[in-house]
Amino acid sequence: MTEGGLRLNWQRQNPIVPAGSVAGRTLMLLIGIMTFLSCVTFGGVLLVQKSALGWSADVGRELTIQIRPLDGEVLESNVRLAISLAEAVPGVESARALSLEESEALLEPWLGEGVDLSDLAIPRLVVVRLSDPAGVDIGRLESEIAGISGASVETHAAWRLQLNTMAGTIVISGVLSLVLILLATALAIVFATRGTMATNRDIVDVLHFIGASNRFIAGEFQGRFLLIGLKGGVAGGLAAIVFFIVAGTAMSTVMPETSSQQLGVFFGQFALGLSGLLGIIGVVLVIAGLTAITSRLTVRRYLSQIA
Amino acid sequence: MIAFENVGLRYGHGPEILKDLTFKISPGSFHFLTGPSGSGKTSLLRLLLLSLKPSRGTVSMFGEDVTQLDRDRLLQMRRHIGIVFQEFRLLEHMTTFENVALPLRVRGQNEASYRANVEELLDWVGLGDRMDAHPEVLSGGEKQRAAIARAVIGKPDILLADEPTGNVDPELSERLLHLFAELNRMGTTVILATHEVNLLEKFDHPRMLLNDGELTIHD
Repeated sequence: MTEGGLRLNWQRQNPIVPAGSVAGRTLMLLIGIMTFLSCVTFGGVLLVQKSALGWSADVGRELTIQIRPLDGEVLESNVRLAISLAEAVPGVESARALSLEESEALLEPWLGEGVDLSDLAIPRLVVVRLSDPAGVDIGRLESEIAGISGASVETHAAWRLQLNTMAGTIVISGVLSLVLILLATALAIVFATRGTMATNRDIVDVLHFIGASNRFIAGEFQGRFLLIGLKGGVAGGLAAIVFFIVAGTAMSTVMPETSSQQLGVFFGQFALGLSGLLGIIGVVLVIAGLTAITSRLTVRRYLSQIA
Repeated sequence: MIAFENVGLRYGHGPEILKDLTFKISPGSFHFLTGPSGSGKTSLLRLLLLSLKPSRGTVSMFGEDVTQLDRDRLLQMRRHIGIVFQEFRLLEHMTTFENVALPLRVRGQNEASYRANVEELLDWVGLGDRMDAHPEVLSGGEKQRAAIARAVIGKPDILLADEPTGNVDPELSERLLHLFAELNRMGTTVILATHEVNLLEKFDHPRMLLNDGELTIHD
């Protein structure tokens, strides 16, 4: 093994902090669970936000003109007038009256199938598609439509505001949840680190006696915790990705088509996309970094206390 | 090299463990530190190791008042001091080689730069064929020789030993004492705490006698 003071088959040195002395498995499991929860929260928020933005944009590209039937007015004539007036406004792409059948279909969820609406005074609806939602002169359209008896313009502004408020609330709740999960993770790491330091007090004392700096000792412990944080984080992140894949597959195959469509409208088909994947990788890195930084600060504080 | 002047030490609000210690240690000397259990030997060694600060008085080492030094300077100074414990305090998960090399490793030196020196030292203390063994399979004497090698690998100016023969048989105790004497001959200042009277009688070195926290020196 030894020849002329030179060892040829060098072995890798043992770490100064033994792997088994760190509360590894429990902490790794905890970090894995916290990462999973963080990723699912992040992914859920992302899906809701994407869907809400898409919805809001879709709705924002349409207006509805409602024309109520009034005595002495010819409804069909008013509908045609409304269409021609709307199409003359800059920024309007097209205007189209909903047929009676389409109106009946809209009312079906509330009134049921097979109801004869011909005797009811059902307002006629004109759907106006906007080519330039930001540039269209809504005021001009409203004033011109106001000239038609019984006609009014519905911009869906209140509904969009409600949708945006709801999406914003969900996003804020998700961000708060993420912050709380990260805080709980940091606290758990603090306790685990202090426990590990107490368990390894002999090693710390020996290192001090032979002239090791607090920075060196903290670095040795931080290396262990960073590894645990990375392993736990990667496991949690992968579990979250599997969760979204399984949930997406289940939605498209197991659930009835109508339910699947409704969920799809809300969650955008559970597809995280590239931004979602990058976000999950970001969450994993944040948690690994949080583990390393928290453990380092805790070790430094512990070493200062015992100095 | 070391000068204590009116040094007193107490833990918290307790009674004084060390009282009015005033003495000087010259470079290259060998002193036994002796006294009954509880007389304050370990506390004095911890003062010398700079892991405690005195409650009063001044402690000078290498020409500096160590009571006034900041943590970084104390750390640098501690690297000039080697320590051997009665209970060895080797790291169980490391090999003999790694334990002995630890002081160099914590100073940021890479293995290639110190491997030959560590192996040479292990040969010198008689552990050349045990360098890959872990402490759990070493005998008491082997552990203590490894601990001594760890204490001197950094070429300290001062070597402190706290009851280094407490856990080995009398024959090995004497051999270990010869090892300390050899290190002293090579220029290291040695302060060795022991309460084994038999050993003290076999080696003609000054004795620092601690009794109830008070020190007398017998040349």
